[in-house]
Amino acid sequence: MMGLWRKIPEGWRSLLGLWAAILLLFGIGGMISPGFFSVSQAGAIFRSASFIGLVAMGQTLAILIGGIDLSVGPLVSLGSVFGCLMLAGRDENNLWAISAILLIGVAAGVLNGVGVSLLGISPMVMTLATGAIVTGAVLIYSQGAPTGNASPALRAVGVGFTWSIPNSVLIWLALGAILSLVLKFTTFGRGIYYLGANETAARFSGLRVNFIKTAVYALSGLTAALTGIIIAGYTSVAFVAAGRDYPMQSIAAAVIGGVAMTGGRGGYGGAAAGAVLLCLIESLLTNLNMQEPGRKIMNGLVIIMLMSFYYRKRLDAASKKKAAT
Amino acid sequence: MSERGRDLRIYLPVYAIVLAVYIFAGWRSASFFTWNNNVNLFGRVTPLILAGLAQTVVILTGGIDLSVGSMISVASVTAASLPYVDTPANLVLWTLIPPLAGLAMGAVNGLLIAKWPFPPFIVTLASSSVYLGLALYILREPGGEVSLDATLVSSGKIQGIPIPLLLMLAAVAAAHLLLSRTRIGRSIYALGGNETLAIQSGIRPDRVKFFVYSLSGLFSGLAGAYLSAWMFAGDPLVGEPYVMNSIAVAVIGGSSLMGGRGGVLGVVGGAYIFYLINNILNLLGINAFYQYIAKGAILIAALAVSAPDLLQRLGLGRRGSE
Repeated sequence: MMGLWRKIPEGWRSLLGLWAAILLLFGIGGMISPGFFSVSQAGAIFRSASFIGLVAMGQTLAILIGGIDLSVGPLVSLGSVFGCLMLAGRDENNLWAISAILLIGVAAGVLNGVGVSLLGISPMVMTLATGAIVTGAVLIYSQGAPTGNASPALRAVGVGFTWSIPNSVLIWLALGAILSLVLKFTTFGRGIYYLGANETAARFSGLRVNFIKTAVYALSGLTAALTGIIIAGYTSVAFVAAGRDYPMQSIAAAVIGGVAMTGGRGGYGGAAAGAVLLCLIESLLTNLNMQEPGRKIMNGLVIIMLMSFYYRKRLDAASKKKAAT
Repeated sequence: MSERGRDLRIYLPVYAIVLAVYIFAGWRSASFFTWNNNVNLFGRVTPLILAGLAQTVVILTGGIDLSVGSMISVASVTAASLPYVDTPANLVLWTLIPPLAGLAMGAVNGLLIAKWPFPPFIVTLASSSVYLGLALYILREPGGEVSLDATLVSSGKIQGIPIPLLLMLAAVAAAHLLLSRTRIGRSIYALGGNETLAIQSGIRPDRVKFFVYSLSGLFSGLAGAYLSAWMFAGDPLVGEPYVMNSIAVAVIGGSSLMGGRGGVLGVVGGAYIFYLINNILNLLGINAFYQYIAKGAILIAALAVSAPDLLQRLGLGRRGSE
């Protein structure tokens, strides 16, 4: 049995570990409260995971190239607020409104990319500044009090089911699969890993570093804006603060899923499992009647615990070195 | 290499901008240069400076502290939960406990980062969630009380000099002396500049890291206590904006997120720029919503201009990674 386990490649092993943890927690939840182990509960958990997971698509790419994207929060808010305002509850607005919002997301991402690659501003501060600009745009357009509604078609995406799976989850799975394939099998995907592992080497070997960076941030802007639109479909009305928690949650999902903050290591499958795990834990703790303070504390402890799982090799190495000296 | 010349190159642009902003504000509003307005300004900008100091000492080692905000919140609610009786003993408690709480939380961060190979970003992201939970546990909603003597910290005067100004100058001077005149200060820069080289020259990275994260906690604790004295109450969410604002202030103040470059003298300038931009946009009568856009654009412009190798980036030339 252990021999078989060792034959599995490292990346797949941690992915299997994550899904085993998810199943285990589901089981525990089912034992504690009978309603937990149900299709509707699983659907609700996976739906909130799909929102984090969609944002984490762009975030994973940004982290893989050694960057970070803090502007995803304001962009989710933008998607939600602009979505409701532009759609005004009518299906005939779908096409232009949704394309306009996605374009804005891409534009914000390009701004990030240009700032990071051409101007040499550190990603954290650059995306923070872009986030401030996006927040300003949201407030100006909505005058601080968003109105409007999602269109019926968007409502169907946000709250509807297909084969008893929430539609947003299906969209997430499809896009996530495409992203994983792109990362594995295309020149662009390999370029991302190469750039994240060693920027200088990537530059000298003729990789179009600035282009890749800009494309990555543009994709991140796109997925964040898209998430905002889908969230508008779910809530039907818009909130200026809709995206508040998404920067940190998408980063946490990626990290829990084994994407290294230093760049170049990890994949989207892990980040997706990380998003599910985050939502599952939150839901489990709520089911246990744990209040917000306790949930926040548990959330932090879980991240630290999973962290030690990924760094256990380096932990072993460090302790061996200490023992030797 | 002349250290002073390098410092000047970092700080000169920062304070040139402060001066320009200051003169502009004075020109637009007659009351800007009055002593009262400036006293008010010291009072408002002090917590941002304390948070900026907390972030800067960590950034100089190439790390980051995302828990600054939550540590400020914990200190704030702790300060507001202490007994409300004006006795000298209570005042001593009030002065000591919130900063020490910050120090303890910072020390936990430091221990995790120094002893294990975890990235500081994740450790402090996780611990900020834990500390926020702690703050919410102590005080679920803004409230509590701060004894009257303690509120003097934000509004009192010694020999006519406002206490916030004294506090701010003392904190900056202490941090500057620590960084420029002591061994640990030099180790902080060395570690941020090149970790391998620092280790080879006999610096213990674990000790330096433990030290800077603890110090960051202490400064955050001071900021939290100060804020509760300013508001006469505690607030479990008061620290939230300080996470990103402290990073922005440190970076505007000339410190590089890569570590090894910058210092605390820029923090005052950075905080003033950050705060005065708001002030000026208000004076100009710009709608609060547009201020976000202006702030983002100004931040990008300021950082692009101060980027060390902007010309190489736009033109040709070799540049180091990381």
